[in-house]
Amino acid sequence: MSSAYTRPLARLIERLQRLPGIGPKSAQRLALHLLKQPDQEIHALANALLEAKQQVGHCQICYHLSAEPICEICANPERDNQTICVVTDSRDVIALEKTREYRGKYHVLGGVISPMDGIGPEQLTITALVKRVGETQAKEVILALSPTIEGETTILYLGRLLQPLTRVTRIASGLPVGGDLEYADELTLAKALEGRREL
Amino acid sequence: MYLHHLHLWHFRNYTEQAITFSGNQTILLGDNAQGKSNLIEAILLLATLHSPRAQRDGDLIQTNQAMARLQADVERQPDPAQLTLTLRASGRRTLAVNQQTQRRQVDFLGYLRAVFFSCLDLELVRGGPGQRREWLDQTLVQLEPLYSQLLQEYQRVLRQRNALLRQEPLTPAHLTPWNDLLIQTGTRLIRRRFRLLERLAPLAQTWHQRISQAAEALEITYAPCVPVPENDHEVIRAQFQRQLEVKLPAELAQKTTLVGPHRDEVQFRLNGHPARTYASQGQQRTLVLALKMAELELLETILGEPPLLLLDDVLAELDLKRQQQLLTIISERVQTIITTTDLERFYPPWLAGAQQFQVVQGQVIPR
Repeated sequence: MSSAYTRPLARLIERLQRLPGIGPKSAQRLALHLLKQPDQEIHALANALLEAKQQVGHCQICYHLSAEPICEICANPERDNQTICVVTDSRDVIALEKTREYRGKYHVLGGVISPMDGIGPEQLTITALVKRVGETQAKEVILALSPTIEGETTILYLGRLLQPLTRVTRIASGLPVGGDLEYADELTLAKALEGRREL
Repeated sequence: MYLHHLHLWHFRNYTEQAITFSGNQTILLGDNAQGKSNLIEAILLLATLHSPRAQRDGDLIQTNQAMARLQADVERQPDPAQLTLTLRASGRRTLAVNQQTQRRQVDFLGYLRAVFFSCLDLELVRGGPGQRREWLDQTLVQLEPLYSQLLQEYQRVLRQRNALLRQEPLTPAHLTPWNDLLIQTGTRLIRRRFRLLERLAPLAQTWHQRISQAAEALEITYAPCVPVPENDHEVIRAQFQRQLEVKLPAELAQKTTLVGPHRDEVQFRLNGHPARTYASQGQQRTLVLALKMAELELLETILGEPPLLLLDDVLAELDLKRQQQLLTIISERVQTIITTTDLERFYPPWLAGAQQFQVVQGQVIPR
């Protein structure tokens, strides 16, 4: 599709197309849109890309994406240091922060255990998590991982590892808010029942 | 349940084909490799989202096409439904019921149900255990659509655990969470297979007596890889755990999972003898026919209406007496779609009221 375009434009379309969620048509539309922008807009975009890549690394404590060695959440003295919420990646931190319900800290694993993809516990930030739980004398570790097969395995693995050290909980899974019991499938109901709690 | 209309686009060797069914029996006549079985496969895909012949969705799409579409209009209780299945070479599928896209398989399955009987089923008794497990699984998917999801989950755990067992060096502690999940997902399959055979076995016995005119006694036993003394969650889990411990050295040596429902077996016995080694060709055919009739009856009991019966290249394989019995059982009630290369070996009344099509190189022409 892009081969009919002049070389530099075809290159731009091809690059855009490598981005997740961008197909040939979107890439073409984005490229043509970019060409119409004034020079300073394009410079600003290019700089933003470069700066983000150069300046953003991982927080040394929780591995959340951060431009500083210690991220804002870890540096915040108002937050509870002894509650650690374990998540798969930084997107989950953002999602949980939006709830404004959580006042503890996070730990970003960087993925979930998946032997098919060559990801074992060693490839994740699990050693650092165990050390951190010991050092901070954490009162609770909350496992907030998706209930997929790989997420479940990671929860089971972390549970065995951390239970001797502290209280370990997992977020509830099951019925969506506003969901009607009779429309839930058997498996979701069974999981919700397993995760029931005292009134 | 009645399939009124089937429409295919770029499916296998069909560019575009619409078929309107009428009457209770439809015969698709044609030489080999013209596309008769592809039509049966299309109906089966809409009923189970699974093809017994294709490994990848790419195999189902016409050469040089990016996608295939299958659409069916089904008369059913309580309301009719239009099913649309879009297949892509990438493997991504779109499922729609009455033009509403369904996110989960569970919400698509169950609108169309069919009992599939092909010449390959005649090997069910003598063939490998994998064939009998496939039969159990496909029957369960139609009876309880949730089973398809449970099966996928189990298979994913199994693939991950096998990938782990192949790793060098392997830390045995890393197996523990996978064992827990294998037991959890595997136990769900075992319990459902157990329950299915409990319901199916007595029906199959009755049909077998009827077809063989009480000559032999049929016995069907579920022989799970994990011994199951009773269908109890805790009992099965404990047995599963024990077997995993016992087989661990062998699993480490062979680098694959040796315990679980992927190694289950179903045993058929005639008058106390294993049918696999003891039964003649004719006895095996009677047995398989009895199983299919039991499947049909069970589905009908549970759904409250008869499913479709798909006979792929198999009717002419049955002798005239069995054909006659089959016709008496299903006529007037069950919509039956039959493929065959010739009509010579048909019991004549089958042909009398049947709608007939000729299938030639991806074209379906009324006869």
